[in-house]
Amino acid sequence: MSNKPTHKTSSGELAGFVRLNEGIKGVVLIAFQINIMALNAILLAHRAGEVALGFGVISKELRSLSVELTGLMQELSNDAYLAVNLISDLLRQERRYRLLKKATDLVANPSPALRDVMVRREEEFSLITHRVRDVRLRLLDRLEDARKLCQFGTAISRSAKIEAAYGREYGRALAEVSQEFDQKIQNILPSIEALCTGMQRR
Amino acid sequence: MKTAQTIYQEGSHRWVVIARDPSKPNCVIDTNEYLVSREGDNLLTDPGGSEIFPAVFAALSTIVDPMSIRYLFASHQDPDIISSLGLWLECNPEIRCYVSRLWSSFIPHFGGDENSLVAIPDEGMGMPLGSGQIEYVPAHFLHSSGNFHLYDPDARILFSGDVGAALLPPEEDELFVRDFDKHIRHAEGFHRRWMGSTEAKLDWCERASRMKIDMLCPQHGSIYQGDDVMRFINWFAELPVGLSTFRHRR
Ligand SMILES: [Fe+2]
Ligand SMILES: [Fe+2]
Repeated sequence: MSNKPTHKTSSGELAGFVRLNEGIKGVVLIAFQINIMALNAILLAHRAGEVALGFGVISKELRSLSVELTGLMQELSNDAYLAVNLISDLLRQERRYRLLKKATDLVANPSPALRDVMVRREEEFSLITHRVRDVRLRLLDRLEDARKLCQFGTAISRSAKIEAAYGREYGRALAEVSQEFDQKIQNILPSIEALCTGMQRR
Repeated sequence: MKTAQTIYQEGSHRWVVIARDPSKPNCVIDTNEYLVSREGDNLLTDPGGSEIFPAVFAALSTIVDPMSIRYLFASHQDPDIISSLGLWLECNPEIRCYVSRLWSSFIPHFGGDENSLVAIPDEGMGMPLGSGQIEYVPAHFLHSSGNFHLYDPDARILFSGDVGAALLPPEEDELFVRDFDKHIRHAEGFHRRWMGSTEAKLDWCERASRMKIDMLCPQHGSIYQGDDVMRFINWFAELPVGLSTFRHRR
């Protein structure tokens, strides 16, 4: 049976989800920085008036992007928490399974009742294994959403650079801000990619 | 692999000791489990830690169907006594485990709940087993603050938990005490350090000396029988225990 408890898989998986949570914290931090930056950019665009109307619109987009990204990361984090709980339970069950299996193997003629206990154990184990798989698939979907969001962010931060060129006396300030946007978004993408590959590897 | 050996039998009434596991890891203390069986009513005393569960289960299966165990008795709360509870309940959710009222809400960390754990009141209690009756005898503070022994008046056997325990070297780990003086040397350090209360010790010795005991069965080491039972009680009564004998300060 493919779902027989194996300690190594689960503890490796547990480490994977714990790492995921750490990665999420990094993304949330950058999203927060983008939010603050976008807020300042909106104020700057407001001061610049007419010449930075487009820049203001883009900054608002970036700000809502950061909010959306933070929300996505929160959902990811909830799922990672759920997965860590499920896998901890799996680890506990694996230990019980191992001891019961050893007992069954040592008994010359295991009774049908004892066999039933083992079957129930395996069924319960495979149920939890499936739940972990579902959580992982959901996590991967959300990571994909996050990746698309970041690609969109990259595109609009480029537009911000173009808009900055129309900023006349504010041009330099706006260019600096758009450059920072670009950098921040570029920082997030590899983190998201790393989270995706970390999850897919299993 | 542990072995099961019958130490008392009278019709369907019997005591079986499960002991000596040469294959157990060295870091785990060796324990004795006792099956008390009467007319198909099966009770297991201090069923042991979870790591030795397979060995106990298998040894038991050579005598009875382990799934037929109805009662567990935990003399106290230690992991070598009862951490296998979750596994036993996994096999048979109907099992009832008798333990001091002090520990009935601590032991669920090993498994079980208010249904599976039966709290023994401080003064002890009797319990029917088959056509007979066994008694849970108070032995508080020896060493645990909520501690019981199990007495079978018909078999005249006292299961005494950690009292009487000896940590025997492998070459001297016989099932029954043969040379009391030689044996008791391996019990001395254990009793000095584990049994903290002189008052509790004397109270127990006084009560035990009035009981009819043919065999005194500890959870570790060898079984005392015949005159060695009284020898042990007298030895224990004389043994200095408690903080005054324990040099923890420089
Ligand atoms: Fe103990
Ligand atoms: Fe013990």
